[in-house]
Amino acid sequence: MTAMQARGFFDGTIVTIELTLISIALGLIFGMLLALARISKNKVVRGITWTYVWIFRGTPLMLQLIIVYFAIPLMANSITGSYINVSMFGAAVIGLTLNTAAYLAEIFRAGILSIDKGQMEAAKALGMTYKQAMLKIIIPQTYRRVIPPFANEFIMILKDTSLVIVIGLAELTRVSKQFAASGEWKFYFVAGAIYLFLTTISTFVFDKMEKHAARYE
Amino acid sequence: MQHAMSKIEEKRMSMIKTENIHKYFGENHVLNGIDLEIFPGEVMCVVGPSGSGKSTLLRCLNHLERITSGKIFIDGVLVDHRENDKDVLKSDPKKVAEMCAELGMVFQRFNLFPHKTALENVMIGPMTVKKVGKADAQKKAMELLEKVGIAEKANEYPSRLSGGQQQRVAIARALAMEPKIMLFDEPTSALDPELVGEVLEVMKQLAHAGMTMMVVTHEMGFAREVGTRLIFMDEGKIVEQGTPREVFENPQNDRTKDFFRSIL
Repeated sequence: MTAMQARGFFDGTIVTIELTLISIALGLIFGMLLALARISKNKVVRGITWTYVWIFRGTPLMLQLIIVYFAIPLMANSITGSYINVSMFGAAVIGLTLNTAAYLAEIFRAGILSIDKGQMEAAKALGMTYKQAMLKIIIPQTYRRVIPPFANEFIMILKDTSLVIVIGLAELTRVSKQFAASGEWKFYFVAGAIYLFLTTISTFVFDKMEKHAARYE
Repeated sequence: MQHAMSKIEEKRMSMIKTENIHKYFGENHVLNGIDLEIFPGEVMCVVGPSGSGKSTLLRCLNHLERITSGKIFIDGVLVDHRENDKDVLKSDPKKVAEMCAELGMVFQRFNLFPHKTALENVMIGPMTVKKVGKADAQKKAMELLEKVGIAEKANEYPSRLSGGQQQRVAIARALAMEPKIMLFDEPTSALDPELVGEVLEVMKQLAHAGMTMMVVTHEMGFAREVGTRLIFMDEGKIVEQGTPREVFENPQNDRTKDFFRSIL
């Protein structure tokens, strides 16, 4: 491997890590809001979020990325007559975030619903508002239960960043494909090893987090 | 003279008053016209067969269940007025939360917060709701844990405590909000028999200190010894009330008689 190729792999890996972390971080916030909306008393709010989750879990992520990067600018152009310019990286983050938020919403919703009803009652009896009870009592108790499925989703997204190859962003998989184009098949395995390294570290970190979150049981 | 009059009035003012409370769960008429008044310093014990509406009545008082119709006054202030499952009195959620905090609640299944230590369980109410500083909340919480005899377990998580210890922490947690009245929903029903005594002892202390209490219980010994008034409920109605001695020794209603015969 030449210095130039090593550099290419390094940059591609960084893009993959950035895509994963940014999308998961944004997806976490958006997913939590969606989860709270899904258990809202308001039927309209529930309906909208149900539809969102239905669409984003029911269609392929690759198609969602294509729509964000290629279709939406065209749609915007035919409606408003002006071009909007989304960078490849921006489109990739938007697509991945919107998708992972739908999955995370279901994970968080299940976590919240798994907490004993008596916890909310005890919080209310102390005079807490719904918001205070959620933030101080209910959501903190979901951490331990949510960490395993969250870890799962994190690793899925880490691997699924390779799908952004369809919009041309130079992340790890695309880099390996470019280098391998000259017949150097070994580069695919280099990429595979890097993915495996990243997923293994992630698993290790989440295991530690889960143990820490279980300290009170 | 006028001063003396107002003193008397004050004394007669009820802590809790309900007017014609009804509660339906679907078709099931759980509370059927409950009129109730609890005065300061009273220890009102509520007994009756399961399904008679005792717990539901308690839970309606602090909005854990919403009444179908009727009125609830706390400290003379109308806090809940509903007809046909709709609010007649519109009150904002903040006010409702404040009002709930005036009624301390102890649950059958303790409902301690498992992710908080015993001490933190007692601190979190004042810190979150009353915005009390951490140091003050901690000091107060320690005092309360001492009062319920469990200070040495302050830093344990609930999962490490016995049922009796958990329930005593739960009592301290409710007291931390300085409630005007304490509601107990079968506080000893989920406990192993040998742990019942320690919880009743704490409740007895509270009663002797003058706390106004409403206790749904199957502990007839406690009702007889500590209760100042006993209410017998059946099928969503108060069918008999009086001092515990009156009701135990000379029940008037047939259903009351049957009930006591079956449990004593």
